[in-house]
Amino acid sequence: MATVRYDKATRIYPGTSRPAVDGLELEIGDGEFLVLVGPSGCGKSTSLRMLAGLEDVDQGAIYIQDRDVTNLPPKARDIAMVFQNYALYPHMTVYENMAFALKLRKTPKHEIDVRVKKAAAMLQLEEYLGRKPKALSGGQRQRVAMGRAIVREPQVFLMDEPLSNLDAKLRVQTRSQIATLQADLGITTVYVTHDQVEAMTMGHRVAVMLDGVLQQVASPRELYDKPANVFVAGFMGSPAMNIKKVPLTESGAKFADMILPLERSQIEAASADGGDKHVQVGFRPEDTDLVGAEDGGMPIHVDLVEELGSDAYVYGTVALEGQDERIIVRADPRNAPSLGDTVYVKPRAGQHHAFHAGNGRRL
Amino acid sequence: MTAVATSVEGFRRQAPRPARLLLHAFLALVSLGWLAPLALAVYASLRPYHETAEDGYFSLPRTLTLHYYASAWRDAELTKYFLNSLLIAVPGVVLTLFLASFVAFAITRVRLRFGVPLLVLFTAGNLLPPQIIVVPLYELFKRVPLPASMSDSLTLYDSYWGVIAIHVAFQTGFCVFVLANYMRTVPYEITEAARVDGAGVWLQYWRVILPLCRPALAALGTLEFTWMYNDFLWALVLMSTGDKMPVTSALNNLRGQFFTDYNLLAAGAVIVALPTMVVFFALQRQFIAGLTLGSSKG
Repeated sequence: MATVRYDKATRIYPGTSRPAVDGLELEIGDGEFLVLVGPSGCGKSTSLRMLAGLEDVDQGAIYIQDRDVTNLPPKARDIAMVFQNYALYPHMTVYENMAFALKLRKTPKHEIDVRVKKAAAMLQLEEYLGRKPKALSGGQRQRVAMGRAIVREPQVFLMDEPLSNLDAKLRVQTRSQIATLQADLGITTVYVTHDQVEAMTMGHRVAVMLDGVLQQVASPRELYDKPANVFVAGFMGSPAMNIKKVPLTESGAKFADMILPLERSQIEAASADGGDKHVQVGFRPEDTDLVGAEDGGMPIHVDLVEELGSDAYVYGTVALEGQDERIIVRADPRNAPSLGDTVYVKPRAGQHHAFHAGNGRRL
Repeated sequence: MTAVATSVEGFRRQAPRPARLLLHAFLALVSLGWLAPLALAVYASLRPYHETAEDGYFSLPRTLTLHYYASAWRDAELTKYFLNSLLIAVPGVVLTLFLASFVAFAITRVRLRFGVPLLVLFTAGNLLPPQIIVVPLYELFKRVPLPASMSDSLTLYDSYWGVIAIHVAFQTGFCVFVLANYMRTVPYEITEAARVDGAGVWLQYWRVILPLCRPALAALGTLEFTWMYNDFLWALVLMSTGDKMPVTSALNNLRGQFFTDYNLLAAGAVIVALPTMVVFFALQRQFIAGLTLGSSKG
């Protein structure tokens, strides 16, 4: 049970000038499940490895339960880590894999036994305790890696894309298992993933990173409803939000023939800081309605329809200032338009987002 | 034509291509070339001298006997010399593997500033032909003092320590090279997992990496044992007491001053070659064991 705090933690890899993690400031509460998410190379794994002690911290500090661990080796930090490729010890049985850390800490034999068996029961691994990793399936190996972390009863769990080597179905199943397990154990967890669905479904809070810089930390709901900038808006949600740079008018943003209304303060903010009389507006594919030709929607020429069963996604183009721009909208799958149709789309009132044309910040 | 043949045969069985047949013919020929002298030695060792003297070595046998093996064993006092060989080879192999695995671990697992140049240096040192340094070493060894408890001659010369040291020095480079390459195949995350689990450098080496290198260690152990056991040059140059010679040099005892019974010598040679083969067959399985399989995804 512990809190974690990154205090302007920075990592610069030798031989590079740009920091892999740049002044990260982040507080993780006791028992919280925090997900670090971002595209590859954004520094999320590096941040996790800094917390683990596997990566040096060049500037700033990291605290676990108010203890400065910046320069402590991994074993002195009381953390347990689950690796992407599991990193099980191939020459040890499942039991030995799980007991290894306890054995190194000179835990009494009977206590090791109790803890390993308890973790094995939680993860349905009891019948595999005598097996070597190579005799296990991918999902079982993943559970052993989890078990190895659980028996430690650490202050913090660190997980580095633990599901990315599983197939899609198993991933969904394991996702909920991990979330449940974490809730039961109540151990502070930092979880790295590039998958925004994992981030949304598992995290109490989600931290979005890009190019080593933290973009936003918020609950999944807030991240979805109030993305802090253009990057977060485009990264969270699938299919991605439609974000276009359009001219600013006195009452809002001119989107094709429509005016998406903006508040006075938003318009003022958009004009400041070199806004150049433009604004970036975005609306999610699911926040739109298909309307009749006379109802004032924007005309979209359909060039692809994706039928997912529960939804249909319509890909099309709309003319914005003389240029064809791509738009995605969700439609009723039982009443979806066909290829080559022209449909009229209206973003739902109040469901659009506005960002500064230059710096991309939310207005 | 090959293309037609394969397409007609379909997917089930491809006709062997001429290049492949050629390859196999070549391989068969080469292995025959290697095996023929050995077979001839074994054959000769089973026949009495007078018979091969009359009919030549490439003749059909009239009598086959194990008599020469018994007399070779007896006349050359092979037991004693076998022990001498073991006294050199076993500590030599163990020490070589131990030191080499240290170096390989340091090169591959610990972030070392000059890791690669170091590996190059080790490998390059290995390319030096031993013949070049025979004379300097001989002079050097005669000048290095040892306490009487370690060497009767009071120097490195004519002591097992000297021979073992030179074997270790010469073989470590090669073993480092092989072990380092092998250790590189062990995923780096395994070391990191061990670090997070609380293992220091020693435990990472001893409990995690070394057990995973068992196949490589077994292969190298076999190879190194064979090399040290087969060595003729170093013992000859760096030892002077006949009684302390290893078994390879002791074969000399089977030669008379005026007359050499080559059938007897062949029997002795076969006996001397046996341990190498025993070692190989005993450890053969270790070569195949792929311990790292299943450590990560797959």
